[in-house]
Amino acid sequence: MGENILELQNLRAWYSQGKNVLSDFSLQLRPHEVVGLIGLNGAGKTTFLKALSGLHEGFRCDSIYLNGQPVTFRDKGFKLCRYTVFAEDNSFQYFTFREYLSYVAAAYKMKLSDVAELVRGFHFEDYTDTLLKDLSTGNKKKAFLITAFALKRPLLLLDEPVNGLDFQSTEYLYQLIAGYKEHGTVLFSSHILESITLTSDRVLVLEEGQIRRSFEGGEINAANIREALHDENEL
Amino acid sequence: MMKMSFEVTAKKLFGVKYERLIRTLFLELVAFWGLHISGFRVEIAPFILYLMVVVFSAGVMWQALSAGDNRANLENMLMLPFEGRTLVFSYAAALGAYTLLTKTAGLLAVVWAVGHWSWTEILGSLLCALAAIVIVSCLYPLRLGRTDAYAFYVRPASHRRTVKVYRRCSVRRYLFRYLMAHKNYLVNTAAMWGVACVLPLLLGQMEARFVLPIGFAILSLNTPICILLSCDPALERAVRFLPGQGRAFCVPYCLFIFGCNLAADIVFLCSWQIQLGGIGPLHTLAAAAFALLSAVGSVLLEWYFPLRGWKIESDLWHHPRKYIVPAVMLLLAGLVSMI
Repeated sequence: MGENILELQNLRAWYSQGKNVLSDFSLQLRPHEVVGLIGLNGAGKTTFLKALSGLHEGFRCDSIYLNGQPVTFRDKGFKLCRYTVFAEDNSFQYFTFREYLSYVAAAYKMKLSDVAELVRGFHFEDYTDTLLKDLSTGNKKKAFLITAFALKRPLLLLDEPVNGLDFQSTEYLYQLIAGYKEHGTVLFSSHILESITLTSDRVLVLEEGQIRRSFEGGEINAANIREALHDENEL
Repeated sequence: MMKMSFEVTAKKLFGVKYERLIRTLFLELVAFWGLHISGFRVEIAPFILYLMVVVFSAGVMWQALSAGDNRANLENMLMLPFEGRTLVFSYAAALGAYTLLTKTAGLLAVVWAVGHWSWTEILGSLLCALAAIVIVSCLYPLRLGRTDAYAFYVRPASHRRTVKVYRRCSVRRYLFRYLMAHKNYLVNTAAMWGVACVLPLLLGQMEARFVLPIGFAILSLNTPICILLSCDPALERAVRFLPGQGRAFCVPYCLFIFGCNLAADIVFLCSWQIQLGGIGPLHTLAAAAFALLSAVGSVLLEWYFPLRGWKIESDLWHHPRKYIVPAVMLLLAGLVSMI
């Protein structure tokens, strides 16, 4: 238990009673690893990440341990440990990126080191003083990704982080995800095989709210994942 | 085709099986009977009734047409090879039905329940509501100097504004920008100030000690600034997901509402002083206390009972929850008056 940063036992989640979106969902996240979640639409990836972010109301979990300590997803200690980038985010639209960054840093009680490199990497230099509401979908995504990588939380949750990004930023994001192990653990969902195969240490294939297959190390390749997804489709 | 186009918008507003419409009509009926059998009666001149119905229906219809929430549906319909007249008519008809049956009908249920009305006045008020809806539907596209279907499409802001650079964030500044960006919020706040100016005319016949707190309670009914989290689900998600938002967001938000309420109360007190005199420091203190309490109440409601599942922003503006804080303030005003 102590080895894992996060350990969940038998998570069940639902939107309407009796119809579980996630069931018998158990997961151990080790420190300093990148875990990719892949599955067909409706497999439960976003619901799982929402639950971890403390935003999903309908769920039960037999046990949740953060660094060996029992917690809930809404405990302040847990909140301080993680940051989530959502697939779509239109929050704090009347802050500029810089203001948002400063606001989030204050929420996490942190002083952020220089983010210039991240801003340059995402080609975001021209937008740092623009209101978030005036940014395009892709640039908005970049704003939240820069914030996420600047915060360096022990647990980083990314819901379809590649969506909306241009190819240069996508490649830069792959580097960042792969390099994040130095700071903590990344759990991210994606529909793009390349993003999973290039960055993950472990891949979890979700189907109907359950982890059906898991690949590690050398097993992670497009053919294996495609086959697993194909098998699921046939089930 | 027209029926299908109508249903695209209507089902979004009323529910797939029109269940929201049935529920709303039922609640309006309950409100009508409840008020009718309570025996409470008010005399309202027909002209005032017609004026009220026209202004209210026109305002709600304009708000419904301006709602960005319709954008996705309309975008898709405009992308199809549509026939302009059919699309415009069905779209305006759906929003008109929404305005008439869920909003104006609520107002009429209340005024008909407490007044004595002839069939002529009932028919007259219905015709006034319909006329207001039709006129607004015709005028709305003219704001762009056009009359085609595309004029109904509320475009997202296309220009990128670089605002004054601040390195540090401020929720107060955020809320101020929010208020300035929503003209209808500003209009509502200005309207509250207008009400604050004329309130002494209506309440001035009674002793200040009794009616000043009632005035403060009425002026706490500034709906749009009290539904900030409800009408911005992404913001609500963010403040629930980030740590420490009880203090970081809710306290400045509470102070913002307090500032808005207090401004209206000060206008009310100034107007009272000019017209009737006799305002002292104690009244100012009472105004501050009422403004603060109503702000705290509004933020607590937003934090613990945000409104969800609404279809367009107009639903939030006219949700009965908005009366809870003013009602509590009125009770408090009654208590204060007795002391």
